[in-house]
Amino acid sequence: MIPEKAYAELEKAIGADNVTREPAMLDSYSWQPFLNMSGELWVARPAAVVLPASTEEVQEVVRACNRNGLKLKALSTGWGAQGGASGDDTVLIDLRRMDRIIEIDEKNMYAVVEPYVCGGELQAECWKRGLNTHIVGAGPHASPLAGATSMHGCGNDSISMSTSSRNVLGVEWVLPSGEVLRLGSPGSGAGWFCGDGPGPSLRSIMRGTSGAFGGFGVFTKVALKLYHWPGPPTVESEGTVLDSTGELPECMSFFNCSFAGEQDSVEAMYRIGEAEIGCIQVRMVTSEFILLIMPHLFPKLVRKGGAILEFLNEAMASPFTILLAGNSPGELAYQEKVLHEIIRSCNGIAMDMSRIGPARRLMGMNLLRCTIFPTVFRFGNMFATNLDGNEALDTQNAWTHTMEGYKSAYVRAGGLIDDGGENPYMINYENNLYGHCETIYLYDHRNREHLESLEPLGFDTTLAAIEQCNVPLAAFEPVTRKLMSPLACDFNEWQKKISAAFDQNGVSDTRLYTDEEDPDYDRIDPAKLEKLKELQARFRGKERR
Amino acid sequence: MMSCVRCSSCKWIPFNQMKSARFAKNCPSIARHGFHSYSGSGRVNMGLSLLEGRSELTEKVSEVIYSCQMCGACDTHCKVYREVIDINDVLLELRAKCVEDGELLLEHMAVIDALKRENNMLGEPKAARGEWARGLGLKDVNTETVEVMFHAGCRFSYDRDLWPGVRGSVRLLQAAGFEVGTAGAEESCCGGRAYELGYRGEARNFFEDMLARVRSSGAKMLVTACADGYAAFKYLYPLEGVDLPVEVFHVTQVLERAVSGGRLRPGRLPCKVTYHDPCHLGRMGEPFLGRWEGDKRLRLRSMSRTGKNGVYQPPRSVLGSIPGLELVEMERIKQYAWCCGAGGGVIDAFPEYAAWTAAERLEEAACTGAEALVTSCPWCERAFLDAARETGSPMAVRDLNELLLEACGESEGGDP
Ligand SMILES: Cc1cc2nc3c(=O)[nH]c(=O)nc-3n(C[C@H](O)[C@H](O)[C@H](O)COP(=O)(O)OP(=O)(O)OC[C@H]3O[C@@H](n4cnc5c(N)ncnc54)[C@H](O)[C@@H]3O)c2cc1C
Ligand code: SF4
Ligand code: SF4
Repeated sequence: MIPEKAYAELEKAIGADNVTREPAMLDSYSWQPFLNMSGELWVARPAAVVLPASTEEVQEVVRACNRNGLKLKALSTGWGAQGGASGDDTVLIDLRRMDRIIEIDEKNMYAVVEPYVCGGELQAECWKRGLNTHIVGAGPHASPLAGATSMHGCGNDSISMSTSSRNVLGVEWVLPSGEVLRLGSPGSGAGWFCGDGPGPSLRSIMRGTSGAFGGFGVFTKVALKLYHWPGPPTVESEGTVLDSTGELPECMSFFNCSFAGEQDSVEAMYRIGEAEIGCIQVRMVTSEFILLIMPHLFPKLVRKGGAILEFLNEAMASPFTILLAGNSPGELAYQEKVLHEIIRSCNGIAMDMSRIGPARRLMGMNLLRCTIFPTVFRFGNMFATNLDGNEALDTQNAWTHTMEGYKSAYVRAGGLIDDGGENPYMINYENNLYGHCETIYLYDHRNREHLESLEPLGFDTTLAAIEQCNVPLAAFEPVTRKLMSPLACDFNEWQKKISAAFDQNGVSDTRLYTDEEDPDYDRIDPAKLEKLKELQARFRGKERR
Repeated sequence: MMSCVRCSSCKWIPFNQMKSARFAKNCPSIARHGFHSYSGSGRVNMGLSLLEGRSELTEKVSEVIYSCQMCGACDTHCKVYREVIDINDVLLELRAKCVEDGELLLEHMAVIDALKRENNMLGEPKAARGEWARGLGLKDVNTETVEVMFHAGCRFSYDRDLWPGVRGSVRLLQAAGFEVGTAGAEESCCGGRAYELGYRGEARNFFEDMLARVRSSGAKMLVTACADGYAAFKYLYPLEGVDLPVEVFHVTQVLERAVSGGRLRPGRLPCKVTYHDPCHLGRMGEPFLGRWEGDKRLRLRSMSRTGKNGVYQPPRSVLGSIPGLELVEMERIKQYAWCCGAGGGVIDAFPEYAAWTAAERLEEAACTGAEALVTSCPWCERAFLDAARETGSPMAVRDLNELLLEACGESEGGDP
């Protein structure tokens, strides 16, 4: 229960209509089954939820929390458990009323947005101006500001528009103290064009690799780098994802590329990066497409021993989908020629899917706006991934196989749904030198056995990551962080110092940013525990040397 | 309810349809009130919390539940991706729970009291119900057998400003050669609104009353000009197991056929208009498809109400048949349309919020450059007329039937 005095101060700060402590309303913020790796479906019920409408109101809320010993956490669209409260002393700052696109500077190619602008609406506005914006893999639902400032940031279009961490320019930040700090050029009143000055350049402090997951004040405005859009101002499309009637714009085509061997596929990706072609590129295995669009058929295929799926996955091995976009038919023809040459030289074939009507209608707009993601929930009801790091393509590729080994063991034991295969989701950026790969696993969150698999699977993958010196992005979980940090330059000790310097009253809800928790050692298989100790000793020793 | 993954799709028009930031949102409730609990998803999440006994139904929660137009936009976007969640059904259940637990809104209680007393949603005298039709030469379905039984609905029956529209529909049907009858003062509410407010027992009485009247009329077609009534007959009645032994049409469907078959020949009417899809004629008017037993993940898409089978083309065809008339579309149309604000009892309990919702739509209409917003539901017309008056919007609000009648060079005969 939030103390009366604190509640009254919040009401005074932003108006009684914009504050609630009604239990059922708070619970609507606690239902967060997705990315909830604890196997719970609800996260903690917050002390209150507030709806500030401006930076000044955010400051007032932050100050009230400081005065009253409450914790705070901001959310933008709040898709996933990371947007929920960690305890009942946290005030959730729902930024829905801050939903303005403040500026789109066409000449300097950037947009300034507030937290509750979603990727879809920003993209729609950009297209009208011949510009485009990066959309994170979560889809057009998510807030570009959240991606840029607070959490991850890669997406299917990263091949051409990089990741959110690269695209963030100026930032307006309400610090945990309530003061406002402007990073980059807005810090010196010089406009929003640059993230690194003139003005303070604290990009790494602000978000590092993965962001602080709401544990480090509130971001109220951000400037985002925009890119050239070769398509039309609007793209007509109707229907559901599966009976979409949209057409691909002129001068665009997309290909499904598959290869004789996996190394060939990776080599092709490197070469595509070097050639600087491609607007969207995503790697998903063929069976995954069937699973997304035909969930009725899929279990039957799996029950039949998975032979058909295996055949498909082998016939179209190590595939990826790439969308090409040219400014003219000539440019598109050039890109297609380059693509074909690369694929041929890498022992692959490139199927022009845009010539197949249903595929073109299904995938066209869904690729361009990254709309298809929620279909992943169709088959299992819920999914999770071993949220992996951003590494060189080869490393990421190898990691997929490691993950697959663990996943299939859980599938066999009935702890996960059989999705017929590996199911990697991989995207590339920085001229395809880097990749981000997640292995997707499906489960039904109404099934206890499935929920109980999540923590042990998380532990197993953490062990594997330690063994392979791979830092998973899932290091935002307090247990993973505790296990990984000592082995990776004690990164969390540094994060805690940064956090303390900016947040002297400890007002931020830092569970997903710097907090550490021990795993439940009693529930861990002794052999795995042994292995953990052995790895810890091995790597700690190395570091000291 | 457990299948909600909190993706927030239900707060926006489908992303592939987004053409601007200004008209990207789809849910009036959350757009106006802000907290997640005011969205389709938030209500589903609250419902689960109540069901699991984590929280209680209070006055505030009931107010949140009723601050929703039952417009169905949330359900439509959720189903763009998945078949598992029927948000509309959850919203209906939550309202029924409010009634069951006595967490009622005073304004709705007054409406329901009046409904029980006078058989209509406006609390107007029963005896005056048929006055709108005076002079139209309609048959009396209570005593005569008719081909077409016309159901005017409560709003059209009593809202005099809207009489040209309802009288126009009858004139057009007659001009197209149909023999039309009504129940006059004996007509009563379809019960749809009461059902949506959660008063299922009361609604059921009206459903059965309607069934009896239809049966005794011997009519082959039941035609209504009210979108709410249409949705009730097509969806709520079969949902409750009430099977009307006639074909049910919205008047625009019949007029479309009359126009295309040459039975009505509209003349030139130069104007530039935009068309508002009433929710209850569109996505909420989709027919009942039967209950899906078992795991909804395996529900066939043909058994899923995705919104695309609403009545969208008939009104457009009718408008398209009028020479000189230019139809310019808004950004949010058909199953993606923004609500007029009146539905779900909002116009009764929260008139200011209803007017705000309608004003949003008037603004969208103005962006098309149209001189008039045309629609085909009396509740929408009332909401838009009120909002236009309050906001000073220059946008004219026209009933589709009235417009067609004018184009056909006919007159509805003036105020009876
Ligand atoms: C299905 C799915 C797929 C995903 N795939 C990808 C992917 O491919 N690539 C990728 O990069 N990410 C992915 N993600 C994670 C994604 O980056 C984030 O979910 C998304 O960017 C967050 O947007 P949101 O609006 O939902 O943010 P929220 O959930 O609101 O916030 C995300 C985090 O940032 C914090 N935060 C948000 N806004 C602010 C603010 N204004 N100030 C301070 N803190 C804030 C929140 O506390 C939270 O911890 C995926 C998520 C989902 C649900
Ligand atoms: S109700 Fe549907 S659209 Fe809305 S958040 Fe839940 S899953 Fe997403
Ligand atoms: S029915 Fe309409 S008003 Fe109600 S929650 Fe859904 S979209 Fe919002």
